[in-house]
Amino acid sequence: MTKNANANHTETALTDIVVVTTADNEDPAFASLGASLAEIRKMDGVLGYIIRSNVSAVLDLAKNDEISQYALFSYQLDQSSMEIAKQLSVAEIESALVEGSSLKVLLMKIGENKISVFMEKNANHSAIIKRILI
Amino acid sequence: MTEASTKPLQTVLGEFKNISPELTQAFIFTRDGKIIAGDEECIAVARAKKLADAYDQIATQATFIGGIENLTIHGVSTQLGINSTNSRYLATISSRAADEKMIKALTCVIVPTIIELVDQTSPAESECSVIDPGQSEVNSDKEVVQVPQESAPAEQISIAPTFSSEHVFPKPPVNQFMVEKIGGLLVASDVVRVDADVVEKWSDLYGDTQILLVNIETLEGKSAMCKFRPIREADGKAKGIIQIPERILQTLRTCDGKLVMVKPVIPVVLEEQN
Repeated sequence: MTKNANANHTETALTDIVVVTTADNEDPAFASLGASLAEIRKMDGVLGYIIRSNVSAVLDLAKNDEISQYALFSYQLDQSSMEIAKQLSVAEIESALVEGSSLKVLLMKIGENKISVFMEKNANHSAIIKRILI
Repeated sequence: MTEASTKPLQTVLGEFKNISPELTQAFIFTRDGKIIAGDEECIAVARAKKLADAYDQIATQATFIGGIENLTIHGVSTQLGINSTNSRYLATISSRAADEKMIKALTCVIVPTIIELVDQTSPAESECSVIDPGQSEVNSDKEVVQVPQESAPAEQISIAPTFSSEHVFPKPPVNQFMVEKIGGLLVASDVVRVDADVVEKWSDLYGDTQILLVNIETLEGKSAMCKFRPIREADGKAKGIIQIPERILQTLRTCDGKLVMVKPVIPVVLEEQN
């Protein structure tokens, strides 16, 4: 227990990327998705992203002071999407898209990893999905 | 909601499969899981309730994205959509091959518009079951335009009623018509022409009560009250048609081929004062 707690650490780099990890050795799929998301982050209208696996999470958001709000929303979207899919007898979710009047959020599940991309309403989410699935 | 107010929703959902065959299921339900339109067997009440809960949980945290306008969930071969309008939820299930824009137009534009219209035409039903005679006459935010009459306006419009007994009449039926523009020297610019079969049904429904005006409402919420006469066409071409002169079309900001909702205006009967 103490060992796990010691292994947890948070880094805030100059690039505003927050990394939370409990493992020294990153999953290669997680690292690869992280690299893709870093590229997606540069696309027009993309405000930030959260990627999390069972042991690690990376957050890169334009508004650092709203990290908790974005993270909570990402978690809720994940949980509620699963519930909705379950009630409508859909076994597996690949992605979910929530469109608000000002922003939209794309949630994707790639294996054990869950990705949330926050973007402006006019951003091309289809291009982001393609880019992630490459 | 009564059968009359859910019928337009039921009709529209029925048309979904014709418009987009990839759309396999569509139903509208309330917060307590009651299915108000669509196939009732498609989902149990308890499951619909859980759906509403799950949607609401996202919605409560979605303020920073400007609320939820549309939620789409992609499965391996199917896609699910949930939208909410005026405390009613629309759930759709379609294949991944479905045209995303078409589905969005149906779920985010058509159904919410019809729900709004249904609520506007029967506000008392959507809010509470007790009808306050005073409030039933109140026109909410809806923009209602009285079409200027060429001849003397119908009497009942100018009279300020001391007591409305409109509630003793059956609720005016709402019919959906396709607009056909009419013009010409012999066409009165303030009179619309309505499918004669529908006018006959109104006469049957209200007996001796003379119906002189109809209320026309576009899907965009513009409405106008004007005089009408039945279309007499033996070949049945007038079925589902309302012929509207240019001036009223301009007032309603609609055009040929568009759909409008039409209901008869039931004259207000004044209670005799002793």
